[in-house]
Amino acid sequence: MKRILSLMLVLMLVFGALSFTGCSSTTEEPAKTEEPAKTEEPAEEPAKDQEVVIYQNKVEIHEQLTEFAAKYTEETGVKVTVKTSGGDSPYAENLKAEFQSDRQPDIFVIEGMGGYNTWKSKLAPFEGQEWMGLTDLAFNVEGNTFGFPVAVEAWGMAYNADMLEKAGVDPASLTSQEAYKAAFEKIDSMKEELGIDSVVAMAAGPDMRWVTGLHNFNGYLSAGLPYGDTTVLDKLNNGEADVDRLTEYADWVELLFNYADKAVLLTGNYDSQVGQFGVQKAAFVHQGNWIDPWLMSNGVDFNMGFAPHASVYGEHNAIFIGAPSYYVLNNESENKDAVNDFLNFMATNELGHNYMVNEAKMVPAFKNVTLMPDAPLSSNVAEWLKVDNGAYTWLQNDMPDGFGMGTIAPLYEAFAKGDIDKAEFINQLQKKIEEIE
Amino acid sequence: MKKNNRLYYWLFLAPALISFLIVVVIPFAMGIYYSLTDWTAVAGLKSNWVGFANYKAMFSDFAFKYSFMRTFLFTAISVITINGMALLFAFLVTREIKFKNFFRAGFFIPNLIGGIVLGYIWQFIFKSVVPAAGAYLGIPALEELLILADPTLTLFGLIMAFTWQYAGYIMMIYVAALLNVPQELLEAADIDGANFFHKFKSITLPMIAQAFTITSFLTLVNAFKQYDIIIALSKGGPSDMYKGEIVNSSEMLAVHIYNVAFKYNNMAEGQARAIIFFLVLSVVSIGQVYYNKKREVEM
Amino acid sequence: MGNKKKVVSIVLTILTLILFLLTMFPFFIVVINSAKASLEIIMDPLKRPDDWGQLWTNIKIIWTKPTVKYASSVLSSTIITLGSLLTISVFSAMAAWVLVRNKTKTSTVIFMLFISGLIIPFQVVMFPLVSFFRVIHEVTGIHMLRTYHGMIIAYIGFGAPLAVFMFHGFIKSIPKELEEAATIDGCSKPQIFFKIVMPILKPIFVTVIILNAIWIWNDFLLPSLVLGVGQDIQTIPIAIQNFAGSFVKKWDLIMTAVLMAAAPVIVLFIFLQKHIIKGMVSGSIK
Repeated sequence: MKRILSLMLVLMLVFGALSFTGCSSTTEEPAKTEEPAKTEEPAEEPAKDQEVVIYQNKVEIHEQLTEFAAKYTEETGVKVTVKTSGGDSPYAENLKAEFQSDRQPDIFVIEGMGGYNTWKSKLAPFEGQEWMGLTDLAFNVEGNTFGFPVAVEAWGMAYNADMLEKAGVDPASLTSQEAYKAAFEKIDSMKEELGIDSVVAMAAGPDMRWVTGLHNFNGYLSAGLPYGDTTVLDKLNNGEADVDRLTEYADWVELLFNYADKAVLLTGNYDSQVGQFGVQKAAFVHQGNWIDPWLMSNGVDFNMGFAPHASVYGEHNAIFIGAPSYYVLNNESENKDAVNDFLNFMATNELGHNYMVNEAKMVPAFKNVTLMPDAPLSSNVAEWLKVDNGAYTWLQNDMPDGFGMGTIAPLYEAFAKGDIDKAEFINQLQKKIEEIE
Repeated sequence: MKKNNRLYYWLFLAPALISFLIVVVIPFAMGIYYSLTDWTAVAGLKSNWVGFANYKAMFSDFAFKYSFMRTFLFTAISVITINGMALLFAFLVTREIKFKNFFRAGFFIPNLIGGIVLGYIWQFIFKSVVPAAGAYLGIPALEELLILADPTLTLFGLIMAFTWQYAGYIMMIYVAALLNVPQELLEAADIDGANFFHKFKSITLPMIAQAFTITSFLTLVNAFKQYDIIIALSKGGPSDMYKGEIVNSSEMLAVHIYNVAFKYNNMAEGQARAIIFFLVLSVVSIGQVYYNKKREVEM
Repeated sequence: MGNKKKVVSIVLTILTLILFLLTMFPFFIVVINSAKASLEIIMDPLKRPDDWGQLWTNIKIIWTKPTVKYASSVLSSTIITLGSLLTISVFSAMAAWVLVRNKTKTSTVIFMLFISGLIIPFQVVMFPLVSFFRVIHEVTGIHMLRTYHGMIIAYIGFGAPLAVFMFHGFIKSIPKELEEAATIDGCSKPQIFFKIVMPILKPIFVTVIILNAIWIWNDFLLPSLVLGVGQDIQTIPIAIQNFAGSFVKKWDLIMTAVLMAAAPVIVLFIFLQKHIIKGMVSGSIK
């Protein structure tokens, strides 16, 4: 097999040269120009020195990370290449294609247990690295550290503080479904005065399945529970649904949908959802602090903050805080040391801090970083970090691969459109959970 | 001399044939084998023989059946709209009108735009331009129309975008056929006092029957395989409830196969579905050509 | 009679004009919205841009966007398209020629094999293809994925069936006498092919090249699997999808990117219109 294959290929390549030598006329000219295209490619191949390839998923920080990598190369001489895919070309799918190829990245990204389970055969743990002592948010499994936290992110109900003040709603009072209901009703009745289209900017369409199937659904998994509590998640992963909790949760979903603008809700994308909030056509937006760069680049300057999600009944005084993703180490990488050096540099060097905070506008997951984010929502996250028990766990990435965005997200869309009622929504969610293994 | 001939025979064949073997024939055979295993496509993992389990799973999967149905619907309507528009274009640009070459080129231009690029253009039109037009015209219904939230409208939106892209190409084939219609025959019919429809039916129609065999084949196959436009325009959405199950209304087969393999992480099952996809497409397209060839002769 | 004809002609011209304008409408939308700023486009996608200078600003943004890598993507697309067109057409013509001129059982079998490739949809071979390319690398050390030659070989493989079919049909109709005369004059096989046969095949070359050019330039799924997304070599459709598909949908920039992707092809088409249309019309009757 081996020999036949090599023979075929050699034959193939040799042919180019051979076939045209027999005949010398003008027709041969264009044929030759094609040859360089064939042979030119291996130019990038000889990576004798250590070279780190990162395959990452945040399109919005690609430029900043590339610049940081260039600075790192200047400082250390080690080349770092950043490759990015995200968005509609979902990263997880492209990553699978990447691992089927003959060139694999040294660093890639997972988002939690779901990704870990898919990729565990490819991961090497980090051992004794400097950055590991500087964060509480590393991704650990059974005592081994597998993931470098890319950032701290959080979402709650982001509100326009100026507008709430005008409407006479105190954001501190928004701690339960009843309080939200009252506030939404009040704001809804003042729509014209406030100049808004709807109370909440919420999106549940095909572009926004991560908002519903992952972020919103995380309320079912962790709202009201102590940080790190995974009982609901564990049950889900065993195919058990907590119907009472689902019923409480469905009330929350219904409330959000009822007070959302139909166009944004059903067909909106990130731009239209965040835009509705940004141009002050909605008082709340169901998004996290990652919308800061969008808001800042569009000159938004009103005051804002996060109120808790009242995903289930009871009182809430916490928002969802966690690391959205982790850099992990490919166990077949030939550049493990270079990878470690690079990650340590990012976590400990001022250039790294500057990149994370000032360039990429992220909230770093490392305690030694003294720079403070100047973006409105990110600085609010920093305040929430100081609140006792002010965080609910991120568990949305620990569900089975594809469950959040693939399996249940369409249900939200159907519910939003009115194709199914609340009872059926609960019923279907339960059914989908019970179909897990 | 003889030996020399043999050498040249294989040398001339080699580049095309070897590429074809590497790219199509061998992967095709591998694909059949993989569809009978629990293949994951991840390097270094062994795959185990599972028999027809992947095929069984497929036929009990509601999403697959639904996707099949939608693909047939999409294909059937696309064949009609594309051929209808293409014929209309072809008739117009072969009549005695001004600037016909200019118009012909214009109708063809959308065909130069790839499915991905085109999908984004139409997504923008359906999401932003249509409501804005409604506002201008003062039609609230249009202003609030969410085309991409409605399964039926999305299907027609996809067909519209596809027709826009493909009708100009199919038009070219009809133009070629229409230019082959002998002018004397039409003039003779004129003298006999035949009306337009009569001429059309008895002279023009048979002449374009041959073209129709090609055009219907091309439109059918391309509609059935459509991937790019859907990915960029609707991404398989919006969701719909069908017989009590939640489904993605525009997840046609090509998209479905890709999603099963990559989104739900099941390469072997995706491959099995691709095999069925191939079988159905072959039967339908070959059957169609056979049927039309027969009709051609009868006409 | 003459008057009536004139009226009909005018009515048909108007009807055609209306259809033409409808066909052009999406392009019109792209052009006016490429010249808008982000908020301007959200406010009103139908009005004239406030300042056409914005178009230049947007073009500069797309040109320098590291995810789009416009210049490099256009170059990659050009290398891949030209390389594939040249190899598909020349190799297929060569194969078709020997298949026609050597009427043996082997030839028939090989020709049938090529023809069967016409009905194999890409979907059925795409997953194993990537695996097989990887195997080739493991066995021979030759990279097939993420490379130009791998991409071009893939296009030869998928493009050859139709091209061989078309050349085959045409070569059958060429009389053998010319070639026989050349053989007597002592010309070698390659000389006969490149000097005598190829020039005769010119019209089919044009058709094959046009059909394949439109396909390859715009192709998405095959290059996304062979070249990957977000890699060094990326074609224009991959770049557009990776950029436009990100969660942050900036329609002003997407429209600019779309314009920049479509414009070169449309300009090329307008220049070569006559040849292209002639090539398509003559090729499609076959």
